[in-house]
Amino acid sequence: MTLSLRRSAPPAPAPTGSKRRAQEKRRVRTYPGERALRNVVIIIVAGSLLGLTAYPIGLAFVGSFHYWNPLVGAFDFVGLENYTTILSSADFWGAMLRTGGFSAIVIFFRVALGLAIAAAIFSKVTRGKTFFRTIFYMPTVTPLVAVAYVWQMMYNPQTGAINTFFGLDLNWLYDPQLALPSIMAMTIWKDFGYAVILFLAGLHAVPEDALEAASVDGAGAWQRFWRITFPLLAPMTVFVVITSIISYLQAFVQVLVLTKGGPGTSTQLISYLIYDKAFLKYDFGYASAAAFILLIVTALLTLISFRFATGRKSSLEG
Amino acid sequence: MKLARAIAVLGTAALLLTGCGAGSGGETVDQAPSGLPVQGETIKYDPNTLVNDGKPIELEWWLWDGQEKFQAFADSYKKLHPNVTIKTVNQPWESYWTKLPLQLQSGKGPTLFNIHNSYDATLDPYLEPYDIETSDLEADYTGAAAHVVDGKVKYLDYGLMTGLIWYNKAMWADAGLTDSDTPKTWEQFREVAKKLTKREGDTFNQAGFNFNGTYQSLGFLQYQRGYNLFAQDAVTPTLDNPGTVQTMQYFLDLYNVDKVGSKDFGPKAIESFGQGQSAMVYEWGHLNGTLKKNYPSLDYGTFQTPVPDAAEAPYAFDRYNGESTPGINKGASEAEKAVAQDFMKFFLTDKTDMKNLVLNYSLAPAYKPLDSDADIAANPVVKAMGSLDRYIWPGPMPATFETSITKAWQDVLYNGVVPETAISSAQKTIASDLAKTKFKSAEPAYAHYAPSPR
Repeated sequence: MTLSLRRSAPPAPAPTGSKRRAQEKRRVRTYPGERALRNVVIIIVAGSLLGLTAYPIGLAFVGSFHYWNPLVGAFDFVGLENYTTILSSADFWGAMLRTGGFSAIVIFFRVALGLAIAAAIFSKVTRGKTFFRTIFYMPTVTPLVAVAYVWQMMYNPQTGAINTFFGLDLNWLYDPQLALPSIMAMTIWKDFGYAVILFLAGLHAVPEDALEAASVDGAGAWQRFWRITFPLLAPMTVFVVITSIISYLQAFVQVLVLTKGGPGTSTQLISYLIYDKAFLKYDFGYASAAAFILLIVTALLTLISFRFATGRKSSLEG
Repeated sequence: MKLARAIAVLGTAALLLTGCGAGSGGETVDQAPSGLPVQGETIKYDPNTLVNDGKPIELEWWLWDGQEKFQAFADSYKKLHPNVTIKTVNQPWESYWTKLPLQLQSGKGPTLFNIHNSYDATLDPYLEPYDIETSDLEADYTGAAAHVVDGKVKYLDYGLMTGLIWYNKAMWADAGLTDSDTPKTWEQFREVAKKLTKREGDTFNQAGFNFNGTYQSLGFLQYQRGYNLFAQDAVTPTLDNPGTVQTMQYFLDLYNVDKVGSKDFGPKAIESFGQGQSAMVYEWGHLNGTLKKNYPSLDYGTFQTPVPDAAEAPYAFDRYNGESTPGINKGASEAEKAVAQDFMKFFLTDKTDMKNLVLNYSLAPAYKPLDSDADIAANPVVKAMGSLDRYIWPGPMPATFETSITKAWQDVLYNGVVPETAISSAQKTIASDLAKTKFKSAEPAYAHYAPSPR
């Protein structure tokens, strides 16, 4: 395929200011078929978003005001009953609290470990950086289901590697005090590599001269990190935190594989509760209402994180 | 134009890669087979016909277990009708009950699919009735009458199953136990379990009895004490009764008082039994297939569930349930449904593959021509079940029973909830879930039915 400019502007004396910008705007290069391709791509993307995201969300919103079991064709208007039932349900609030705790702890360790390891890899004294990057990123690209099954075997109180290696006698996944922390540990191990890679990218963007200037002013390594590197990594930290919030409020697979929400409801997170109601009990109305509450909570937390990041950026710039 | 062509080519490739398009398989057959024997007793299957006019056709058959045994039916059928390919697709149990109903609801899904009767209400709207006279089905299949609705049958049982005690023969012998020590009562069982236990202080080397994770099987033993799961109206659940509490307390005492096992030793009883850590477990007959597949070297035996008092016949030993024949998707094409109907006639009269299927799961056969089969009668699991006369069928139990009972047992064992509270909570959940369904129990149809307490 040969590409040619549809129209090239004749040579002219170099203009200045707004005139030049206007001319550049007019001289947009297009290739044969580009406009059609653009339209097709936009139609496909927009159509997919409408059909696969907007429509199901809209349907779920409407469904949340109904007793909805599509398998038997039930779609009976119940008003706010699903919402009032949920908001007065101990199971729901328990699941929300557990989800909040789970997310906060996993995000904290993901960020802390990710940042610490990224800083260690970035250090000038570290050798084999590529090797370490690969090793730490490997769990991130491993399927979560596979990781969860392996950890389930590792957690077995009699035959599992953890008890055997450390000489312990703990029932990791069935002790209500340990079950949720065990799921958290697996999730942190699986996901911190993602933060490592992002923080490494952020560290590469930290201006060297700022660090050198701090050194000249007598700042130690710890001070350089806290006073210069960490504040400059704030946008990356916010990005990691926001994507983590969105991801962990929906944590589901690890619960399904490791504990199925048990013992009792000790590890039932909100997404598992929604799954249980929708796909085990086929009460799609209740599940949709719970999903909408989760959507609102996720949106609020994301908004707060953005506000916090924006405020921090303004204060740094100001 | 180039762009349009590129899009068309990409689109076609995507369709081909995603496997869209009508399913077809096998070869074209011009002539119907002839001279092949007609099989069956009352239901007859005559293979000397041309299926789908001899044109190739492929059907999907979804299932969650026993793929090899079910595929055997499809393979035998293909020998008679080479133009028909029936492909079994195995799905894990959990995702099966998510994917299948949604596929059926959207008018898609496999032509044939295995059924568990606890999902009866969910699947019923999507099932095509069998094109077989109900009187013929009743004549050939035990319990078929219970599946007749409006003069039609959409599925029925091919075998019947219940709970049993499974024991490790090597451990049994090692403890100095013989056949004569087989316990008949729960008190005798307690003593046998003690003999089979090996521990140093609180550290177990071998559990005498392990019930971790098998609560959905144990959770119905209140029948032995004369308590039904439903009130006389067959609609109101009555799980919260003294029989359930006493049963739960007995098993808790086995762990806490007799120390024949622990909630922390072998968190999954079946795995622990298979790995040779636990000497006895309580599970349904399907465990036979699991053990053969996952632990082929394990030497195990079975005996009938003990009862409170050996001198008196229990109200019922336990509940039993049927393993169901495949359903036909009402939303399939007419051609697919016609082939599926023909296949089901073959399935229901294929004595050889049916025998293998029944033996795989250690079931009491529902197909009457297999009643006197020597191999089935000699199967230790079937033998241990004894007569089904004292087993009750409460109907196709909605899934809420198993999930709520499991939660109650877990709450008691691991979360320190007292049995009465846990059972009461389970009762409330079950009542709430059942209120949204039209479920009616089959308990009143039990030959020895009596409203509880007796």
